Amino acid sequence: MATADVSVTDNRDTTTSSGYKSRKYILGVIVAALALVPVLQWQTTNNLNFWLNLLIIIFLWITMSTSWNIIGGYAGYISLGHNVFAAIGGYLAAMLLLRLDIPVFVTAPFAGLVAMVVGFVIGLITLRVRGPAFIISTIALVLVLRTIIDNWDFLGGVRGLTLPLIGLDVQLVKIPFYYAMLLVALLSIYFSYWIRHSKFGLGLRAISQDEIKAETAGIPTKMYKVLAYAASAFFIGVAGALWSQYVTFVDPGTYLIILFGARPVLMTLLGGKGTVAGPVVGAALVILATEFSESQFGGTELNVIGVGVVMIIVLLFFPDGLVGSLRRAGRLPALLDWD
Amino acid sequence: MALLEIHGLNKAFGGLQAVRDCSFHVEEGSITALIGPNGAGKTTAFNLISGVLRADSGRVIFRGEQIQHLPPHQITRRGMSRTFQISRNLEDLTVLENMIVQSPVHGWRGLLRRSMSAEERDRAMELLEFVGIAKLAHAETRDLSYGQKKLLDFASLLMSSPKLILLDEPAGGVNPALLESIMERITELNEQRGITFLIVEHNMELVMRISHSVVVMAYGSVIAQDAPDIVQNDPRVLQAYLGEVTL
Repeated sequence: MATADVSVTDNRDTTTSSGYKSRKYILGVIVAALALVPVLQWQTTNNLNFWLNLLIIIFLWITMSTSWNIIGGYAGYISLGHNVFAAIGGYLAAMLLLRLDIPVFVTAPFAGLVAMVVGFVIGLITLRVRGPAFIISTIALVLVLRTIIDNWDFLGGVRGLTLPLIGLDVQLVKIPFYYAMLLVALLSIYFSYWIRHSKFGLGLRAISQDEIKAETAGIPTKMYKVLAYAASAFFIGVAGALWSQYVTFVDPGTYLIILFGARPVLMTLLGGKGTVAGPVVGAALVILATEFSESQFGGTELNVIGVGVVMIIVLLFFPDGLVGSLRRAGRLPALLDWD
Repeated sequence: MALLEIHGLNKAFGGLQAVRDCSFHVEEGSITALIGPNGAGKTTAFNLISGVLRADSGRVIFRGEQIQHLPPHQITRRGMSRTFQISRNLEDLTVLENMIVQSPVHGWRGLLRRSMSAEERDRAMELLEFVGIAKLAHAETRDLSYGQKKLLDFASLLMSSPKLILLDEPAGGVNPALLESIMERITELNEQRGITFLIVEHNMELVMRISHSVVVMAYGSVIAQDAPDIVQNDPRVLQAYLGEVTL
């Protein structure tokens, strides 16, 4: 007999609620508008490079945060070392470009797969522990990889690797990266949404709350956690690969610092850990706040303090993140209710 | 015929021997109570049987297969489900989600499917109806009362169609009306659906009224296993509960 599979959280009446009905159209319009931004750059004499760059950075961090949320939000395992997968993607794509002249747009999916396989192996080892021990193991992972790359001349050592620009006019050079990053961000959001509404996602949410209960409910918790860890590495590897040629540089000091690993955590906490929309909202807000702060205070430490103060205030009033707290209060707009 | 056999189970925590050479059996289709004073090792025995703890030695045979080396999820898949002494519902999930979590997932394709099929929803609602909390299906579990959480705990076990249910103090902290309801449900499931029960319980009314066999533990070992009316007059059992009596 054919069955109508539904998400367990689909208890609202999506056929009659105008808010939920119009949500898909509004989101479609937003995506279409984002897709049209580069056309404006191409069609007009206005230089939109600042906005393209800003949006590319937002897409990068949406991808990072959304992917991190699969293991950190859904499964509740806080990793401070997911920048390792960005580094793996970045270095792999850089080496394939420099040695074999294969463009990053071709190698990026492969870089994601390699990051995922590495994530699987690392997950088998590190996910034997939980809580603070797991967090420390993820920081150790960053330090280990940084030490290896710092001392490996083949990968450029501490100096890193310089990559060539793609052969396009300055006004157009950002456009391929813009579309690639937009696509990766959208796919990572869809992937996260799909996991959240699958049996796998429900199992991860059970694990995040009570691992022993989840295990006795029949969930193979170890396998779920390792799969979630590997899955969370894929799009980060892809984004890391694209980012390497976008900035024409890859070095340990960019990818393998604690701040790079901590940022998606902060963004997700700000937006709402364990929700689909939370990391998207958090990433966009943090990047916009950082840009605004830099425009006001310049490139000084003041802008870091400014962003920190904003985060503290938001988390004081929204302890479950913006999306999580609004949902709990019953005030989450239908536009952001993707859970 | 024994559905569950325990042979020479041992478990020590450091210098404390929590379970010592523990052996008993649970007949298929029976309600067996596991009783004993506090610290007798009942919950540890439960944890060893359900795979939550690994035994130092001994064998657990369920449906003819040794399972003492298996992780809990594999034991659950083989038809054994359990509750905990203190309800361990998933508080941030809805009541319905707590039910669906317990529903078995079949293979990789099952893992990737949407979180609930129409059949699963119907079955979950039917079971929630059975324990009388169907109207709370979409409520957050943390908002439930203690008694409602106990009922949810009980109902969710049935999603995996178990052959053997292990209940750890189902009467603990519940009012007399709810206790009556729980006893009725256990009896009904046992008589009409043939589900076997192993129940850790301090409430002697429940033990004596519904169980077919009683296993008594003291200091980590089984000191008696027999019918309830025999066990309650066993001098070893009286001594374990009341201590040495000299007149």
